[in-house]
Formats: sequence, C-alpha cells, structure tokens
Amino acid sequence: MASVIGGLIGTLFIIATMSMLWKDNVFFRFGQAAIMGASVAHYTFMNFQSVHTNAIMPIMAGNVMFIIPVILGLLMYSRLSADLAWLAKYPTSVLVGVGTGVMIAGTLRGQIIDQIKQTILDAFTGLNGILIFIGVVTAFSFFIFTREHTGALGTSVKIGRVFLMISLGANFSGELVWYLTQMIGRLMYILNEFIWPLLGA
Amino acid sequence: MATAKERLAKTTRFYQIIWALCLIGMFIPLIYPLGLPVVLSEPVKDYYKQIADLPEGSVIAVSFGASASLLDEQEAQFLATWKTIFDYGHKVIWYCTTEDSPIVIRNELEVVKPESYGYTYGEDYVILPYSPLGEAGETAFALNIRSIYTTDIDGTSLDAIPLMQDINDQSGIDLLIFEYTACTSIEWVVRQWVVPYNKPVIATTLGCCGPMAAPYYPTQVQGFLSGSGAGTELEVVSGNPGPGAAMGDAKNLGILPFLVAVLWMNVKPFIGKEE
Repeated sequence: MASVIGGLIGTLFIIATMSMLWKDNVFFRFGQAAIMGASVAHYTFMNFQSVHTNAIMPIMAGNVMFIIPVILGLLMYSRLSADLAWLAKYPTSVLVGVGTGVMIAGTLRGQIIDQIKQTILDAFTGLNGILIFIGVVTAFSFFIFTREHTGALGTSVKIGRVFLMISLGANFSGELVWYLTQMIGRLMYILNEFIWPLLGA
Repeated sequence: MATAKERLAKTTRFYQIIWALCLIGMFIPLIYPLGLPVVLSEPVKDYYKQIADLPEGSVIAVSFGASASLLDEQEAQFLATWKTIFDYGHKVIWYCTTEDSPIVIRNELEVVKPESYGYTYGEDYVILPYSPLGEAGETAFALNIRSIYTTDIDGTSLDAIPLMQDINDQSGIDLLIFEYTACTSIEWVVRQWVVPYNKPVIATTLGCCGPMAAPYYPTQVQGFLSGSGAGTELEVVSGNPGPGAAMGDAKNLGILPFLVAVLWMNVKPFIGKEE
C-alpha cells in the first residue's frame, strides 16, 4: 500500500508538471515549486556536507592550509554587497587561473594535435575517413570570413555548409530522442509504480 | 486563401496529432512488449570489450556524474555496466562528482546487488562521497586520490578500506569509466587522463551528448554509451536484460510519427499544391 501511495504522489507530480502542455495552471506551479524547493534543499545540503568533509574536517585536524580555499570560497559571497563585490575578483581569478593552467596542455595535444593527426591518418583508411577529412576541411572553410566566399573557397563553403547541416540535424535528432526517452521513463514510472501495483498486476 | 490564424490553428492541430500518435506509439510496447531487434553499434561493442578484456580483478574507477532527473536516459546504461563489471570480477571505485550521484549509485546497487556476485564492500568495491571535482578535480584525483577524498561515503577513512590500501593515484587504476551529463565534459578526461597518462577511458552519457564524444572515439575514448538506446545495446551484448528493452521498443514506435511527418512534409510540395 505504501508503494502505491508513493507511486500516486509521483504520478501526481508528473501530471502536474506536464499539465503545462495544456496551459499554465496552479497544479503546474505547485509541482514546479515543490521540485525546485526539494532540489535546492538537496543541493545545499550536499554542498555543505562536501565543504565540511573536504575543508572543515581537515582544518579541525590541524591542516591549516585548507583555510585558504575556505576564505576564497567565502569571498565569493562578497558579491552580495555592492561595496565589497570587488573582493569576489580574487577567487574568480584563482578559478580562472587554475582552470586555464590545468586545461591548456591537454587541449593542445589532446584536442588539436591528436585530432588533426588522426583526421589525416584516417583519410587513408577508407571511405569514412575520407568523408570525415572532407567534412572537417570544408566545415572549417565555412568560418573563414576574411575572404569572400567565391571560387574554390565558395565551393568548399557550400560543401562545408552541407556537413554542418547534417551535423546539426544529427544533434537535433539526438535531442528529440532524448526528450522522448524522458517521456517514456515517466510513462514507465506511472505504469510500474502506480497502475500495476494498484491493479495488483 | 487561409488567414495566418487559420494556418496557425492547422499547424497546431497537426502537431497535436503527431504528439498524440507518438504517445500511443510509446504506450503500446510498455503494455505489450514487442521485442524489436536491436542493432549493435561499434562504440557500444568496444565499450563492452574494454570491460570484458580486462584481466579478472582489475580496478575500474568510475567518475560518476549522474543526475537523478536524467536517470530515464541512463539507467539502462548504468545497470548493464555494473552487471557487466561484476560478471567479470573487476574491482570498482565509484567517485561521485554530482550532488545526485551518491543517491543514484546507492539505489542502483540495491537493484544490482553486488553481494549476489560474491562482492564485499570495501574489498571489491567502494563508493567515495560527493565532491564537486570539475576538471581540476579530475587532475587532482589522477595525481592523488587522498587529496580529494579522505573517507568513503560512510565516513570510513580510506586507509581503513582494504581496496584502497595500495591505490592512491591513476597508476592503481586499469580503466576509467567517465559518466557525465554536460556534453563538453568529455574533454576533461581526454585532457587529464588520456593525454598525460594514456589511460584507457570509456564513457557513458546522454543521447544528445553522443556527437560530442564521437570525435574522440576510438583513439582517445575507446568506447562510449550515449542515451538509453546504447544502454539497450549493452544489455543485449552483455546478456544482462534490464529496463532498456521496453524503453527501446517504446522509443522506436514513439519516433515513428515524427519520421513519417518529416518525410511527408518533404514530399508533399512535390506531389501537390503547397498551402
């Protein structure tokens, strides 16, 4: 019985949220507010717990170095005051600096050199490789804006546009299928957690 | 000549019909499973092969960035992956990188039941708690696990966990499974695990993120699952049935009205007067 009630509550929230397809209404707003409230509470708790485990506990254990990230983190909240907002630039700078430092070496090799190398090498392995090579070169040419798109460049741009459209179409179909999956998942939930248990199936 | 309002009403009706057909198409297989054939794709076969080809007892780290709200898309992938790992007797370290992932992994292990495979917590698998890693965190994890995690999800010190005794950086890990839901995050593992350490990496992600993972396959990312369809394929290739089968059928039938509509709208101008 408890699982049926749980399933019923879940089903009501799903229907409330999806009622937006009909029009904005009080059930949708209730569902939206409940989900947002629960999410914010969950995320706040989890992040407080993370700060407690990763920073407060080590400080309590005598590792004073962890005071630095805690102070930097607290400085982020200085944005709440117009007079002190400038202090938030320090943690932001650290974040950007560390982020850039961490990614730059890997980007050069992993995403530029290796990708170019593999695209060229694959061009000699078969039709797929040749198509990818042509697609990469012509799609790149589409973004050359310092020269007029005429002659050979114009032809390349036209071909590149086709590859870009195919790529965008593939991405769009992926999005559509993803939405359908979410919908199917909710239908499965209603069937498996509410309707079948209710019918005793 | 129809007015703009009439045309809009007609278009809206057309969309409503398409969505209604889609809904019916999705519902039928959920009530009467059809068992439509599943075509296996190369990234999924390679994903499975990476796990299957590891020697028994290898250590797999799972960077687990799952989201509860996206579970419908990925549950089939997760369940089939964990079952495959347990089938082959590998050891697993899950480290949670999103707020939802500790709840998701606990729920999933209740379904998969590692103990039914002879697994013991702490010796064969361990779950590390949520930490907002990001790319810099992935780097730190690969360099020194204890700089990020000092305890497991239950608060037990890593030094007191048998599995973690000799593992403190990427050298103790044989394969990384990277689970992510923000499409560009695949670049993190390429930059932080593949380039510096040449570590074998496979990935699980959403259907819409597949095109972003594809450029790195198969040289940098050796296999990947994108979307519930890939989860269904993994269920088939690994022989571990799960929720993906029914979902696959529902998806195939649900998308049919859209395909017919796209075809019809492209063909219609050639066979009749366009309105």
